[in-house]
Amino acid sequence: MNENDLINEAGSTSESPLQLMADHLREIGQGIVLSSGIVHGEIELQVSAGAVAQLLLLVRDDRQAAFTQLIDLTAVDYPERKDRFDVVYQMLSMSSNMRLRIVATVSEGQTVPSVTGVFMAANWAEREVWDMFGIFFSGHPDLRRLLTDYGFEGHPLRKDFPLTGHVEVRYDDTQRRVINEPVHLVQEFRDFDFLSPWEGMHNELGGNAAKADPDKTAK
Amino acid sequence: MAEMQIKPITMNFGPQHPAAHGVLRLVLEMDGEVIERADPHIGLLHRGTEKLIEHKTYLQALPYFDRLDYVSPMNQEHAWALAIEKALGIEVPRRAQYIRVLYCEIGRILNHLLNLTTFAIDVGAMTPLLWGFEEREHLMGFYERACGARLHAAYFRPGGVHQDLPDDLLRDINNWTKTFPAFIQDMETLLSENRIFKQRTVDIGVISEEDALSLGMTGPCLRGSGVAWDLRKNQPYDAYDEMDFDIPIGKTGDCYARYLIRVEEMRQSLRIIEQAIANMPSGPVMAPDHKVTPPQRGEMKQSMEALIHHFKLYTEGFHVPEGESYTAVEAPKGEFGVFLVSDGTNKPYRCKIRAPGFYFMAAVDHLSRGHMLADSVAIIGSLDIVFGEIDR
Amino acid sequence: MGVMDPSLAPPIPPGADQDAILRAVGDEITNRGFVIAKADKLFNWARSGSLWPMTFGLACCAVEMMHSAASRYDMDRYGMLFRPSPRQSDVMIVAGTLTNKMAPALRRVYDQMPEPRWVLSMGSCANGGGYYHYSYAVVRGCDRIVPVDVYVPGCPPTAEALIYGLLQLQKKIRRTATIARS
Repeated sequence: MNENDLINEAGSTSESPLQLMADHLREIGQGIVLSSGIVHGEIELQVSAGAVAQLLLLVRDDRQAAFTQLIDLTAVDYPERKDRFDVVYQMLSMSSNMRLRIVATVSEGQTVPSVTGVFMAANWAEREVWDMFGIFFSGHPDLRRLLTDYGFEGHPLRKDFPLTGHVEVRYDDTQRRVINEPVHLVQEFRDFDFLSPWEGMHNELGGNAAKADPDKTAK
Repeated sequence: MAEMQIKPITMNFGPQHPAAHGVLRLVLEMDGEVIERADPHIGLLHRGTEKLIEHKTYLQALPYFDRLDYVSPMNQEHAWALAIEKALGIEVPRRAQYIRVLYCEIGRILNHLLNLTTFAIDVGAMTPLLWGFEEREHLMGFYERACGARLHAAYFRPGGVHQDLPDDLLRDINNWTKTFPAFIQDMETLLSENRIFKQRTVDIGVISEEDALSLGMTGPCLRGSGVAWDLRKNQPYDAYDEMDFDIPIGKTGDCYARYLIRVEEMRQSLRIIEQAIANMPSGPVMAPDHKVTPPQRGEMKQSMEALIHHFKLYTEGFHVPEGESYTAVEAPKGEFGVFLVSDGTNKPYRCKIRAPGFYFMAAVDHLSRGHMLADSVAIIGSLDIVFGEIDR
Repeated sequence: MGVMDPSLAPPIPPGADQDAILRAVGDEITNRGFVIAKADKLFNWARSGSLWPMTFGLACCAVEMMHSAASRYDMDRYGMLFRPSPRQSDVMIVAGTLTNKMAPALRRVYDQMPEPRWVLSMGSCANGGGYYHYSYAVVRGCDRIVPVDVYVPGCPPTAEALIYGLLQLQKKIRRTATIARS
C-alpha cells in the first residue's frame, strides 16, 4: 500500500536498509542502547533515561544516521509498572528517509536530562511533558507549565487524573471575579466497559441501584 | 550625568487581539520598539483532547481531529485514519484513496487561502481576504456536498471514506479548478510585487536551515529555508505516489519566501486535484472488512450478521491490536503526526498528537528577537498559526 | 409618524407605500423642522440597526464567524461591523470553546464593554461545553462566566445560522423597550 509497509516487509531480512540502520545505531550507541527493534517501519531503541541526551547527540551527528530532526517528544503513563513512565522521542532522518523512536523508562520522581541543548525543539516539548505528566527535566532553561491553567494542580495526562479534573470555574457576582470550585456534574461521563461481558459501566449514574452499593458511587 | 540603565518594558499582547490569530498571549520584553524577548503563553485553548481521546472509542475520537486544525479539517482526520489502518493492517480501496487525496488537497487550498489572506490583513491589505473567502465558500460547498458539514467533516474513516461522492460533484470541482487560477493571479497582482507587502515581509523572520531543523519546523516553513522535504513525496501515503506535482522550495527563509511557497503550493494542489478527478477509479469507498467498517444500509435490512456488525461497531467499536506506531501526514501547515499506543482494547491507550504549529509557536521567541514590534505580527502571520492544534 | 415599531407592524417593503411614508416624514421635517418619536423606541431602533460585534474568535466557530463577515454573507448589510476593541462594541460573539484559562480574560473583556451590551453564544462548546463537556480544562457553557442573550446551536453553526442568531438578537433588543439595560 505505501512505503512504510514495504519497509516493514523488507525489514525481516537482515540486508534491508532499515535493519542495517538499526545495527548501525546499536553500534554507535554501544553501552547506551539497551535493546532495539523494528516496528511498523520505524526503528525503536530502548535507552536508560540518563543517557538520552548523549544518544540523541550521537544519532544527530553521525554522518550515516543523521537523525537531524526531533519530530516529537512525549511520554506514556503505565501506572501499574514500577517505572511508570516511558519518555518517547521521535526522530527523523531526512538523508536516509527513516524514522527512529527512542524510548526511555523513568520512574515517578526520577529526572531526565534535558535535550534542549541538542535540539531547540525540545524546549516546549519538555515543558509540555512536565505539565502533562510531571516528569522533571534537569538542565532545562525554563521548565514552567505550558498548556494548563495558571495555578493548575496535578498532571492531567497521568492515568490517575480524572477526565473531568478537580476544579471548574464560574463567575461569582459577589466577589466580582472568576473563581475556582470543585467539579459538580449533573451527569457523570458515561464510560462503558466492553471488555468483560457482565459489567456494563465503570461509574454508575446514580439512582437506586447505585445507592445499594456505596463502593461504586464513591467516584 | 550618570549613565542610566533603562529597564526593558514588558508588554502584554493578547489574549484578545485581532492579529493574534486566535487566543495567543505574548509577553514581550521591549527595548523601545525592539523586541528583546518574546514569551508566548499558550494553552488558552487547551481542551484536553488527548485525555478525551483516551476515553472514547477509536471512531468516536475521529471528530476531535477535525477540531484541531479547524482550517483544514480533513487533513487531520487523514492522519488518524492512517494510524488506525496501519495498526489494523487494512487496505483502503483505490477510489477511497483518490477521494482522500482530492479532499486533502482541497483542505490545503482552504488552509492557504485563509492563511495568506489573513496574513495580508495583518500587514495591511484588506482586499485579498474578501476575494479569498469567496473561494473558500466554494470549497466549503464541496465539503458540504461530500459529507454534509461545511467544516467538521468526519468524512475520512478507518478503512476508507464514509460515503461515496454524489453525482456531478467531481464535475463541479473540475469546473472550479478552471476558475481558481484567475484568483491566484489576482491575489498575486495585489501582493507579490506590492511595495508595502514586500517591505513588511522581505528579510523579516529569517530562519536558517540549521535552525529550522533544530526548531522542529516542517512544511512550508521548513521548505522556505531551502530544505526539500515533503512527506507527500518522500514518504507517500495513499495515492500520492501516483500524482505528478512539484514541491516549491524557498531560498531566503523569510516571511516572503513562506508566502511565495504557499501561493505555489496552491497551484500544485490544483494540479493534484485535476489528476485525482481525471484518474478517479470506480469501485467501493470502504474496505469490506465489517469488523472495522460499517455495512451498507440495504444490507442491514436483509442480513442478521450485518445488523450485528453495525450494532457492535457503533457501541463497542473495533479493537486495535497492541502496539505503538507513529504515523505522519503532510498537513498544510507541516508534519501532522499521531503517536498511537494501543493496548488491544477498543479505546486508544495513549494518543499523542504532533501538531506542526506547536513547534512554530515555540520558534516565535527565536524569530522575533531583534525585530520591531510590528514585525512580530508579520512573523506570526507567516508561520501559519492555528490554536486548535497548538493547544489541543 | 416617525419611527416604526416592528413589533406592532411588519416592515414595509420598498414601493409606493414606503415612499409615501418617507415623503410624509420629509414633509414634516421641511414644514416643522422636527419629527416626533418615542425616545426609547428610537434608541432601540438605532441600537439594533448598528450592532457592532467584537472579534472574539476562540476556536473553530471563529472561522464561520469570519465567513459570515466576509464577502458572501456580508454582515455589513445589517450594520454590523466587527470591532477589534471591546470599548467600541456592543455585542460579544463567544465563538468557540471557552477554557478555564481563557475565562478570566473573557470576563475582563466583557467588563470593558460599555452598556448596553449583549452576548451571543455561538456553537455547542460555548453553549454548554459540547464535544468537550467532560474535559478537565473546558468551561461547561460560557453562561457560567457572562450572561448570554442568544444561543446559536451547531458545531460549528454555519455562517447563515450565526446571522439568523444576530437577527434574533435584533428582535430581542427591539422588544426590550428600555433606554438603559440594567
